[in-house]
Amino acid sequence: MSEPFEPKIVAFVCTYCTYAGADLAGTSRLKYAPNVRIVRLPCTGRISPMFILKALQKGADAVLVSGCHPGDCHFSAGNYHARRRWTVFRALLSFTGIPDERIRFSWISAAEGAKFAELINEITEDTRKLGPFEQYQELQKVIETQSSY
Amino acid sequence: MTRILLKSRLDDCLASWQSAGFSVLAPVQRHEMSTFGEVQKASDISLDLVLTERTIKDHFFPQTEPLIRYKIGRQQIDSVTMTPPERKRVFFGVRPCDASGLAIDDPLFGWDYKDDYWFRRRENSVIITIACTQADDFCMCTSVKLSPDSTKGADVMLRPLANGSGWQVETISERGKALLDTVSSLIQEESSETAPPPEVAEKFDVGKVMEWLADKKNFESQFWKDIALRCVGCGSCTFLCPTCHCFDIQDEGDTYQGIRRKNWDSCSFALFTMHTSGHNPRNTQSTRWRQRIMHKFNYYQGKFGVNSCSGCGRCTRQCPVDMGITETLQAITNLPR
Amino acid sequence: MGIQEQYRNEAASLLSSGEVKLVIGFGAGSTADRRRPLFACTAAEAEQFVLDSACIANLSAYLVTEGLLTDGKKVAVYLKPDGLRSINILIAEAQLKPEQVVILGYAIENGEVKPLTGRSIGDFTDLGDRIRATTPPPAVVQEAERIDAMSSDERFAFWKEQFSKCIKCYACRQVCPMCYCRRCIVDVNQPQWISTSSHTLGNFEWNLVRAFHLAGRCAACGACDRACPVNIPLRLINYRMGKEVRDAFDYCAGENSGQKPVLASYSQDDSETFIL
Repeated sequence: MSEPFEPKIVAFVCTYCTYAGADLAGTSRLKYAPNVRIVRLPCTGRISPMFILKALQKGADAVLVSGCHPGDCHFSAGNYHARRRWTVFRALLSFTGIPDERIRFSWISAAEGAKFAELINEITEDTRKLGPFEQYQELQKVIETQSSY
Repeated sequence: MTRILLKSRLDDCLASWQSAGFSVLAPVQRHEMSTFGEVQKASDISLDLVLTERTIKDHFFPQTEPLIRYKIGRQQIDSVTMTPPERKRVFFGVRPCDASGLAIDDPLFGWDYKDDYWFRRRENSVIITIACTQADDFCMCTSVKLSPDSTKGADVMLRPLANGSGWQVETISERGKALLDTVSSLIQEESSETAPPPEVAEKFDVGKVMEWLADKKNFESQFWKDIALRCVGCGSCTFLCPTCHCFDIQDEGDTYQGIRRKNWDSCSFALFTMHTSGHNPRNTQSTRWRQRIMHKFNYYQGKFGVNSCSGCGRCTRQCPVDMGITETLQAITNLPR
Repeated sequence: MGIQEQYRNEAASLLSSGEVKLVIGFGAGSTADRRRPLFACTAAEAEQFVLDSACIANLSAYLVTEGLLTDGKKVAVYLKPDGLRSINILIAEAQLKPEQVVILGYAIENGEVKPLTGRSIGDFTDLGDRIRATTPPPAVVQEAERIDAMSSDERFAFWKEQFSKCIKCYACRQVCPMCYCRRCIVDVNQPQWISTSSHTLGNFEWNLVRAFHLAGRCAACGACDRACPVNIPLRLINYRMGKEVRDAFDYCAGENSGQKPVLASYSQDDSETFIL
């Protein structure tokens, strides 16, 4: 294996705040790690825990979920529902052994291009140090091999 | 002259088979469950169980099995057939009900298509059955015309000795003979009294049951609605049954690549017969329960000349609502004719 | 007259008066220590009901059987406090009409069965206090704390071992009153969110999602744990989720039938210590 490990980060973001913030980072020519794959949803309220599990199953080493600050949701209350959901889901993932550092949540507004860039860089570096999410990916590899019976 | 194998020589036996390239699987406690697992020495084996909670079916028809790895290209589809591991295995300490389960399923897996996944494993495995000396309230092998010391499905038959020192050895098949030949020095020519099999009272009259099921006018009987009221429609009975064999083919992967798998399925599931149109011919639990009984004691009998049941009783033992086929077949036996 | 006799008579009279079309209770099981759900439609059938400390199943799950209550008639059912809790949750989620359920309530305390006064769910006004006051079994609490104290890797290893046993029989789902979706997420195949295969990854996904879907909705009846034929400690996961919901949102499912489901509501003051 000659290539150094490049973490795969998947970011589920809302259209009206975080995606716009990411766009601002782009138009401001702020450099941030190319490791992130951004998936745009209308609102964090739309983000189902299924998405996070699917991202991990497909080989993500870390997942970011980000949306509008409380009170600023484009759809009024989507992020409040999301916040509750994340509290519960995060506790579940933690209890079953999926490290907290692999799934992160943030509020990033449309004006916070710099925050988006900094956060992506931080997550990428942290995940590079953490290494690939081998425990989960190992489960996936086992499926792709011959039956053990 | 009868032959015996002493328990004290079992370790040597296992070692012999292992050095001949066999993996030895036997009843073990694994993750708080009794099942068949690979053992290294005799002390790993749980010989005192009535029967293991999981069956040896897992090792011939795994609950999930990859069949084909495929990749969809621009002009073609590349596929690689995935095969079961080439492993020689000895199953030591199989109960007669589990062994007969394999024999009951053989005609099905070789019926209109020879299922290589099943037969490769069957051909590479030797079944050493140990006759039962104890039964519990759920056992019903005698009701389906089997017995605690049946040799059906066995390659080698061991009968526990009355003095507890080992087993009487009987060769049943060529495969069994070939295996025993590798440990002939460990088996002694000696007569020793065998422990009696347990009394397993017949719980229902299978002949009467089959007759009632064969009568077409009973298909729509109110009996089915009444008897199945508490069935919740899970797959416990199906998945823990030595003879149940239904499966679902599922493609797992992305748009352009994936693996086609064969997974256990159960006729108790609500969506088992769901059509693409949305119509479901068995859309009530009572019709699904009826299917289960009819399949095991009528349709399978008609096709293969044997009932798809070995009388192990796991269906009732593990059922979350204490159902299982025994109660239904008792009720049919007692129906006014 | 013992409670078994008393409730048999009650059930018989509800049936013969025509007030209910069906009574769901317990009958003798296939062995002396087992009890099984029993369905009676006539006063004569009601003679077979038993009621003792072995009657622990949560029978409310049968009330959401498809088509059972669409005719508007009433059904009576033997329920413990966890069953009453389930009824409240089902009413709050618009799956049951309170007037269709007649309750034969009982509690098992120190091995004895005591009647609970009340015929319809609204009569059990002290249920909320009772739920909040009930301590979960110490074994469960201790085991959950033991897992909480593990490192992330140890926890993963623990659950990987447990979930590798899963055979996807869905007994946990089928006996749960709260799992009433006509098409469960695992049966959705366009797209297939959760793998239906019972390899460890598929089992992980299934058990995780089910636990999540029950968070804040679980009545802690233990039916799933008892039903699992491969002894996966489901009580641990569902207890831990219930605890999280209680600690984070001061919410206990099933206190009354007017509660808004916890993940369908929010407070502007919900805590967010973990959000960057």
